[in-house]
Amino acid sequence: MAYRFKRKLFGFMDLLKFKHMTDVRRTKLQEGSSKPLPKTYRVNETAKILHPGTQWATLSEITTHNSDTKTYTFDLTSPVFFRAGQYVTVRAKVGDSLVARPYAISSSPMQGLNKKLSVTVKKAGFFSNYLYDNAKVGDKMEIGDPSGEFYYESITDTNHILAIAGGSGITPFYSLAQSIADGTEDCTLTLIYGAKTASDLVFKAELDKLVSDKFNVVYVLSEEEHEGCEKGVITKELLSKYTQNCYTTMLCGSNGMYKFVDNELKEFGVNMSKVKHEPNCVGLRDVEEKTFTITVHIRDKKYTVKANNRETILVAMERAGLSVPSKCRAGGCGFCHSKLVSGKFSLAGADKRRLADLKFGYIHPCCSYPDSDMELIVPLG
Amino acid sequence: MTKYDAVVIGGGNGGLVAAIRLLQGGAKTLLVEKHNLPGGFATSFRRGRFEFEASLHELNDFGPENNAGDVRRLFDSLGVTDKIDWLEIPEAYRVIVKSENLDATMPFGVDNFINTMEKYVPGSRPSMGKFFQLCKDIHSAQAYTNSVNGNTDSKVMLRDYDNFVRVGSYSVNEVLETLKMPKKAQDILNAYWCYLGADGDNLSFVHYASMVYRYITKGASMPKSRSHEISLALVERIRELGGDVWMNTEATKIKTDSNGAVCGVVLDDGTEIETRHVVANCAPHIVFGKMMDNVPTEVVKATNARKFAGRGWSMFLGLNKSCEELGIENHNYFLYDTSDTVKQYKLMEKISTNEGQATVCLNRAYPECSPKGTTMMYFTTLYMSDDWGKVEPKDYFKVKNQVAKRMIERFEKDTGTVIAPYIEEISVATPMTYARYCGHPEGVIYGYESQYWDGLTPRLMMMKEDHKIQGLRFAGGYAMRLSGYSSAYFSGDISGRQTVGDLKREGK
Repeated sequence: MAYRFKRKLFGFMDLLKFKHMTDVRRTKLQEGSSKPLPKTYRVNETAKILHPGTQWATLSEITTHNSDTKTYTFDLTSPVFFRAGQYVTVRAKVGDSLVARPYAISSSPMQGLNKKLSVTVKKAGFFSNYLYDNAKVGDKMEIGDPSGEFYYESITDTNHILAIAGGSGITPFYSLAQSIADGTEDCTLTLIYGAKTASDLVFKAELDKLVSDKFNVVYVLSEEEHEGCEKGVITKELLSKYTQNCYTTMLCGSNGMYKFVDNELKEFGVNMSKVKHEPNCVGLRDVEEKTFTITVHIRDKKYTVKANNRETILVAMERAGLSVPSKCRAGGCGFCHSKLVSGKFSLAGADKRRLADLKFGYIHPCCSYPDSDMELIVPLG
Repeated sequence: MTKYDAVVIGGGNGGLVAAIRLLQGGAKTLLVEKHNLPGGFATSFRRGRFEFEASLHELNDFGPENNAGDVRRLFDSLGVTDKIDWLEIPEAYRVIVKSENLDATMPFGVDNFINTMEKYVPGSRPSMGKFFQLCKDIHSAQAYTNSVNGNTDSKVMLRDYDNFVRVGSYSVNEVLETLKMPKKAQDILNAYWCYLGADGDNLSFVHYASMVYRYITKGASMPKSRSHEISLALVERIRELGGDVWMNTEATKIKTDSNGAVCGVVLDDGTEIETRHVVANCAPHIVFGKMMDNVPTEVVKATNARKFAGRGWSMFLGLNKSCEELGIENHNYFLYDTSDTVKQYKLMEKISTNEGQATVCLNRAYPECSPKGTTMMYFTTLYMSDDWGKVEPKDYFKVKNQVAKRMIERFEKDTGTVIAPYIEEISVATPMTYARYCGHPEGVIYGYESQYWDGLTPRLMMMKEDHKIQGLRFAGGYAMRLSGYSSAYFSGDISGRQTVGDLKREGK
């Protein structure tokens, strides 16, 4: 015989209790407070500081380091806290274009809590030239969410970090050195800082002041003899003089520098899976120049933009003044994730898309070059 | 002004399904999602050589083609099943409560499950038999309820589904005691409790039993390209049906007219969309707290009365050794301090005392999910209070990593494996991450808790009277089916179809 459930001595009591469930819930719901519902919550407020989203910021100070590098300090509208080593996207209108670039943050996370954030930028292209020549105190620009995984990760990294900076690649490590000094980060840092001449050593005075039992810095100049600096390039011999080969190693500089230093690190015996590189923006590709037409759908609007096949699809959209999302500009973060309706493209570097993106035809415009006319559905950025 | 028959706010599991249902019902539909990816928690992310699943441990109630569960049938009727490559999860779970020397690995299939239980707990067979009999009765009653769209005939219920009515008001603990199930068998059977996030005194038996039954009879499934594959498949279907999907678009206001009925939606850039119908795939606390003006007092009271369920915490590890080399034997682990769910729930209230975890090694279900010689794992726990709210921003990264370390050590201790030296990639999501990603209050990932008075059955029975604002319905983890992937999909199905009904009644 089928099992019949009975909990109360008299079975009908179980049925009655079932019937009353809605009455109980109805009563409970009306016992709730009539006070207005909260507008926000503590966790959500903290989340806003960790991920403030894109905000308007006012350029409050410009420091000129030398003939090609300046530090731009912004007053933020809302505070931000991040991992030393992360970058932000700076966006501004330049002529008819809406241009954005990711720059490593040179200020410390603690300053971010006080609504101050700096990026240190060397003249190297369209936007950095614009900033150097035109940006002035009082300018308003958009600052994005601190992003990227280029930071000290206590669970996977050795507690002693070897950092190698090339030129303006010093930026994230200056932030890290400050965070070690103020106790935000708990690690030891050996910094090898390479530049052409002593005048290219941005932040040298500041770094010298930060030297402690947890931080030391070695300057390496390729084109000049200078007191207190090594002369030459960053070779395994130089590395062996100042560090051990078992440390997690963080590199920030040009792709050319990565190629050279990676080789030296390998010969020095460093475990390459413990080497991190700050990704660089995708640049031009070297092909015969052609112009294609890209149809872009953003929400309910349709735009037709001209695209130079030597530049990425993202650049084509920005040149046309479209407000489109971008963050890393190196294919990795996926923030520019867009649906490809039709057309052909080539990738710059490794494919960092998600598996299902390949299946359903999504691309990252920041690292894709057009090979034909194209049609895309792009989120508003 | 742009005009739509319906606007779906939020492209999570519930919202995506609701949009398809609206389109299938002939409604001109817009879905807005504040993030740049669809799916809400149903997504994935890349780190180095790995693509991590963001949230899905295993999809319940899908089943293989020859033993289709309700979710597969739903996906069939949405037209998305074939857009996704599926795989089956090998076994149900392994539960370890080291302090009690409990370590049991349970299979799928009712007979297998009962036989395995008998091996671990001799004498458990009769009560387990009764348990599955009740499960079956509940399942039939739910099928009947669905077939009449919730308008059940009480005479039919009493005549054909009397066991459902008899157990319907009791908690898991009350029913298992009545079945005289041996304590240890209860402990093993209760392992899934953290998937619903309420302790055995609060959790409705009907809810728990119906979930367990679906797992054990249908097995569990997983899309090969992580849950991101499901989310993209659903978006694909929305666009095929002519729907509009706007990513990076946050709805900030739901406007109502002088009768209190929905008349429009305002977007983050100030754009106004005219519509009479909204399916909100977000928390009523957010909708009534900041998206609507003039919210009726009874709605404010009813919303304030609800209790938030677990706040999420997850850790994703990419390991540079294979699971064979590491000795990770199972796909799905539940690690608890105590098998007493009420006590475990208490421990999970504080950052300092919570090490309970549901941990998955995806390679055990899908060896090709990561490169040869590597392993991908994800660890999840819930916080049963707002303890993370006390963490200051300046301490955040330190607390996050301290918890990560403890969770890793706990896994190593309970399973006897060593993983820490082999971690190549790590990513940790906390309540702050979830608060940011989906906007949920306090980083809640499980919606409103299944309190003894606010469980599945009364929510379904009161669906009609819970619908207080004309033109506004809810989908997702806060809605009538409670949280979890399958439940969220069903809530979208229900709210989408109900809205189509509303439109039809209006003569649209």
